[in-house]
Amino acid sequence: MKRDILFKIIVFLAIISMVLTACSSTSSTNSQKPSDTKAKNAENINTEVQVDAPFDGWVEGLPKITAPEGFDWKQFEGVELNVITENTPPSSALAANINLFEDVTGIKVNIEQSDLGTVVEKTSLDFNAKSAKYHVIYADPYQILAKHSQHFVDLNAFIDEKTMPAIPGGLEDFIPSQLEVNGYMGDTEALYALPYDNPTMVLAYRKDVFEKYKDEFMADKGFDWTPGPNLTWEQYYEAAKWITEKAAAGEITEVKYGAGHQAKQHDSLMNDYSNILAGYGGDYFEDTELGAVGKSNPGKSAMTSDAAKKSAELYKKIIDVSAPGSTSWDWSGLGEGFAAGDIAMAPEWHEFSSMFENPDSSKVVGKVSWASLPKGDVRQAHSYGGTGIGINKYGTDEEKKAAWLFLVWATSPQAQYMILKSEVGGSTPTRHSVYDIEEVQKGMQAGTEESKQMPNLLPMKVTLEAWKEENVYMRPKVPQWPQIDTFIFTELSKMLADQQTPEETVEEIAKQSDQATGN
Amino acid sequence: MAVPNHVKKTVKNTFLYTIVTLALVWALLPIVWMVMSSVKTEAGMFSMPPKFFFKPNFETFKFMFSEEGNFFSFLSNSVIASVLSTIISLVLGTLGGFALARGNFKNEKALSFWIISTRMAPIPAVILPLYLMFSNLGLIGTMPGLLFAYTTFNLPFALWMMMVFFKEVPQALEEAAMIDGCSRFQAFWRIALPPVAPGLVATGILCLMFSWNDFMFASVFSGHDTQTVPVAASLLITQNGIAWGQAMATGTVIITPMVIAGLAVRKYLVQGLSMGAVK
Amino acid sequence: MRTNAEYSKLKDSNQTNYKKEKSTSFLNLLNIKKYKTEHWMILPSIIILAIISIFPFLYLIYASFMDFMISSDQPTFNGITNWKKVLINDTFWASWGRTLIFAVVGLLLEVMIGVGIALAIYELPKGRNLVVTLWMIPIFVAPIVAGLLGRFLLNSTYGLYAWLLSLVGIDVQILGDVKTALAAVILMDVWEWTPLITMIVLAGLQSLPKEPLEAAQVDGANYMQRLIKVVFPLVSRTILVALLIRSMDILRFVDTIKITTEGGPADSTKVIGFYLMEVAFKFQDFGAAAALGLTMLFATIFLGKQFVNFMTKGDE
Repeated sequence: MKRDILFKIIVFLAIISMVLTACSSTSSTNSQKPSDTKAKNAENINTEVQVDAPFDGWVEGLPKITAPEGFDWKQFEGVELNVITENTPPSSALAANINLFEDVTGIKVNIEQSDLGTVVEKTSLDFNAKSAKYHVIYADPYQILAKHSQHFVDLNAFIDEKTMPAIPGGLEDFIPSQLEVNGYMGDTEALYALPYDNPTMVLAYRKDVFEKYKDEFMADKGFDWTPGPNLTWEQYYEAAKWITEKAAAGEITEVKYGAGHQAKQHDSLMNDYSNILAGYGGDYFEDTELGAVGKSNPGKSAMTSDAAKKSAELYKKIIDVSAPGSTSWDWSGLGEGFAAGDIAMAPEWHEFSSMFENPDSSKVVGKVSWASLPKGDVRQAHSYGGTGIGINKYGTDEEKKAAWLFLVWATSPQAQYMILKSEVGGSTPTRHSVYDIEEVQKGMQAGTEESKQMPNLLPMKVTLEAWKEENVYMRPKVPQWPQIDTFIFTELSKMLADQQTPEETVEEIAKQSDQATGN
Repeated sequence: MAVPNHVKKTVKNTFLYTIVTLALVWALLPIVWMVMSSVKTEAGMFSMPPKFFFKPNFETFKFMFSEEGNFFSFLSNSVIASVLSTIISLVLGTLGGFALARGNFKNEKALSFWIISTRMAPIPAVILPLYLMFSNLGLIGTMPGLLFAYTTFNLPFALWMMMVFFKEVPQALEEAAMIDGCSRFQAFWRIALPPVAPGLVATGILCLMFSWNDFMFASVFSGHDTQTVPVAASLLITQNGIAWGQAMATGTVIITPMVIAGLAVRKYLVQGLSMGAVK
Repeated sequence: MRTNAEYSKLKDSNQTNYKKEKSTSFLNLLNIKKYKTEHWMILPSIIILAIISIFPFLYLIYASFMDFMISSDQPTFNGITNWKKVLINDTFWASWGRTLIFAVVGLLLEVMIGVGIALAIYELPKGRNLVVTLWMIPIFVAPIVAGLLGRFLLNSTYGLYAWLLSLVGIDVQILGDVKTALAAVILMDVWEWTPLITMIVLAGLQSLPKEPLEAAQVDGANYMQRLIKVVFPLVSRTILVALLIRSMDILRFVDTIKITTEGGPADSTKVIGFYLMEVAFKFQDFGAAAALGLTMLFATIFLGKQFVNFMTKGDE
């Protein structure tokens, strides 16, 4: 009966292999050996002299990518880098032009683009398995970085390493608030990511509608409704209601509704509401220092404040007079609704400008103006939604170094300019220096040739204003955020569906938030 | 009052055809609309009221199958992964299904229940352990990994279906063949297998459909070079909105081969289903 | 572990001895009476299934007692916290409630429409094949495509269905309104899976012996009586099988909801499967997700057990 033995051995081996698989996965603590960040042939490199990198087509007026003399740009030839990123314009632009980087370095780059949910999912699986399937990671500060900062390489190790290429223009060239929120977690000791994109909410409105009915509205309501820093959220509500009613009565035919919002049960709802909450001086936690570098324990919820109640009430009022589609729209649904010409004004991410100015998909080309969001009792607040890119620490040293070259290139002013100009891209730069060049300055003026080429520059004047510390709203950067975010938009969604009052809503958010953070 | 028979019949037929027509409109309108939208211009797709007559425009398809659109690679990944996983599941499932049907295992019920229960696990919960396993075996992002992932849900299904089919076939013939000198395997191959062919086809087409349509596993276990068509469809949901033109075209590409394959073997599918499900 | 000597003893032993030996062997797990060709035929499948099921199952149990929420490289033990988090939670139970509604309403509609259409097709004097062919097309549509289509058709700005509804004066935001969102998601499921019920019932009808139907006709029974007395008993088993398969799938699959409503508005479409996805991938709380997943697994196994009991009842 030889077969018995064979049979047993096979089954036995199968079980052993299963156990081994199981054990290795639970006990494979990565040995945290200090990462070697030196370039190859470091002894032949003269760190005193910086030499331009062998890229073609330098743009005048922007810092160039440089490396110390003797640095071999091809030293990582053959390394393959996997980049995981959200399906955003800068990523499409980089993917379309990746050969520029590959030709110079010989590194093969695979850019994998998915929706943010999938990026978060795959990144957290990859970190948990410590497998470094992805070397460069789109580090959303709220959903990825805040929770997983311990899995990223501290980029200071590369910045301090004189034999490797430096960040062109230095860290100072990044917009400071963006570097803070995208790069750090908890403190500014370790830098985990470099700013990569920066959508921010501003107000898109139909200037044809607002000019045509300005006097009529003035006569009716007694104030100038032109959107801008002086308009309050209450006045915004009055204007939205007025237009919606007039449109329903057939007196306004250009649009169907006064306002549109991204109030689907989705992250977008939290962002949309935050503009008003922060405008009235409220925030999600009592600790007001959470927006910039973040904290691992946020402390008690501040959602029982009067500001929270008041803003929730106002938000409900606004949605009730807005386009009814609002409760089923996230930012893209809202963008489509606005582009279809149904809506007079909408708080929207500034990068939707290219969608509104695209004659293939938009009926409002040339009719859109941008303004800062209305203000609350306390201030103007613009939700910021930018992201950085960082390096997975579980890769090999060589992969990490190659990833550093990619980071240097992808976040450089030169590449940011290329992204801005790209047909598939068109997102706005994270670098001061790019905004300073003349062509970009011109692009911010409506009607110029440059603004047609780079339609995302149209809202840039108000966006640059929105990025100022007193005008920007950075949501709390805490590891528990994905959960708390879900509580916020779920409860708000219940409020919008008339299942609970604004007061019950904020109290419920506070209760769940305190439960999740253990406060 | 007697109604003449032929009037009754006409009324009945009119009624039947009305119901069936309504049902077909309900079933097919979304698909027809998808195919129509895929050959509209972007402006035409969003026009209100909707346009039912227009000049078709194949730009989206042209783009998708151009080098930039890179759709061939998605397509070939999908074809390779789903066809191979179907073949693996069918081969193993047929052998195992036969064994289960004939084997006289002592705890046969428990065994067959355990087999079907491996297909019951809630996917989001088991993704982490599967990912850990796959990553230790170096399978993440590779074609074998994807094959393996698909086999996890196809194999139990195939085993179960084939077991049911084999149970329908009487054992007497096999026993007779074995008395005539056939080996057990020969008896299986020559005698038991041919009658279950419709069941085999039905199982195959369903396995093919499950893996071809799968999104959850494909999105996690595929890498840059192994993304399948459903993953490609999900990539069209971008931060700046859904690329509806491409989404509709991709949808058309996803369903076409399955519909053709399904309809081609419709006869067997019906036969197979009736074999397994009706006693 | 057995020694070589024992193995050779085993080899030399005769059939009776062997049987005794076997009862102590770990292979007893499989309860194999004697080694036959069949065992070799099923072995590869069992090995593969063991690999993909045993480790994940054990890992789920392990993970359900670990804390994955802390900012460190390794999860730490946290007792029954995850189980408490899952079981003492309104969202969890509300999601189960919604799942129940989803399954009951969805399946009821699928069976009623599916059987109705099957009977209609069965009675059709002409064109039966063509109708079946066209009717079954939705089955082959990938869930992700069904979701995208649903979102496209119901969009209030440019959706065909939204437009058709507005023509008859119904101007609601189908996916943005708590009153309609769940219904819409259920109808998407009904759209895709009703044809499957039709197919199975039709297959059953066609395989029915002609005699009972004709006998009933001779008896003068009318159509409804014939249906209830003759047809339903014969196809009810089929329908039940289809139902159980579908109900297990309803628990698992959430692609359509993920693409369309993401659980909203006001949680009205958050079924248990989607809630699990949220806990696992959005919150990244793998510990709670493991506990939640296990509860779902138990529920599915319970359902499956009924199914198998039912299936095997006829065999004996």
